Amino acid sequence: MKFSFSTTVGLLIASLSSLLLTGCPTVLSQPTVSFSRQVSYGDNKAVETVTNEFGSTDLQMIAEKMVGSLLEDPVLANRPTMTLSTVRNKTSEYIDTKSIMNSIQTALVKSRKVKFARSNDEMQAGVDELQRQNQSGLYKSQGKAQIGKMSAAKYTLEGEIVSIVKQNANTKDVFYKMTLKLYDVEDGSIEWQDEKEIRKTSKR
Amino acid sequence: MKKLYKRSAINFVIGFAGVVLSTGTTITAQAQTPAVASPGIASKLIIRGDVQGLLGLQMVDLRSQRRNDVLVVQAEVVNTDLKDIRLYYRFRWLDAGGMQVGDGEGWKPLVFMGKQNQLLRGTAYGPQATDFLIEMSAEQR
Repeated sequence: MKFSFSTTVGLLIASLSSLLLTGCPTVLSQPTVSFSRQVSYGDNKAVETVTNEFGSTDLQMIAEKMVGSLLEDPVLANRPTMTLSTVRNKTSEYIDTKSIMNSIQTALVKSRKVKFARSNDEMQAGVDELQRQNQSGLYKSQGKAQIGKMSAAKYTLEGEIVSIVKQNANTKDVFYKMTLKLYDVEDGSIEWQDEKEIRKTSKR
Repeated sequence: MKKLYKRSAINFVIGFAGVVLSTGTTITAQAQTPAVASPGIASKLIIRGDVQGLLGLQMVDLRSQRRNDVLVVQAEVVNTDLKDIRLYYRFRWLDAGGMQVGDGEGWKPLVFMGKQNQLLRGTAYGPQATDFLIEMSAEQR
């Protein structure tokens, strides 16, 4: 029985294909919309050293240090009410200081050791809602939030972040220092204060 | 999970000095116990890697106490090597049921120069944390 050349090649391809199909495990596609692997999700808690500018690790380390220091201080013994004030950015780069303070506030609220009153930035939304409930005439009196019942903050959290940058031909050194202070609103005294220092050095 | 932790921890070479538990009591171990994992201290560690996982680092002291009803932990780590080592560490806070409290801490880098010792310090996220673990990973600097 003779086979033509084309038949032989066809049989060879068919047998190779079946071998490949049965011998190699099939690679399953993943539930992603991207066909390339240029983008991937990473560990959001990992130490980020892409550049020596202010980064996610710096934000996390500052927030954790400040929260820890505050939580173990007796000033929080009676679950006081606080509010966020400003954090001045005195570094040479753009840093979203509100984001640092939000991380600190989140951890403090979750600890149940502190109550937070609306900050100056957040006040307008609260006032608008109070006015809507009280002045629009849309709501029944039962369950309506009353004007003049807000809790005032006993303490305000405010601070600043500074940086010192030094560089030569092959090394850049950045030193960050975040200072946070807890002021007693009534008498203006500082009831708690702490600092977090971070040094980052990169070589070209 | 617990078995994996214990297995890793036993591989860790510890020069153990003392453990102060959250009650404030101190368990003083034999000073400079060489290459022996104290069950008390080892049960608090999660080491990434094998026996050499922490290179020349040794934890010589681990203590914890409650301050303002919040668990505060302090660990003393020594670099027994002459070379610099970079340690990455973070605390895991656990409630009475062994469940993790909070979102988890970020890894923190800490450089040890040769023969240097440093303190690792952590404060729990709130009163609900009653126990802790320290996760550690090291590399040559």
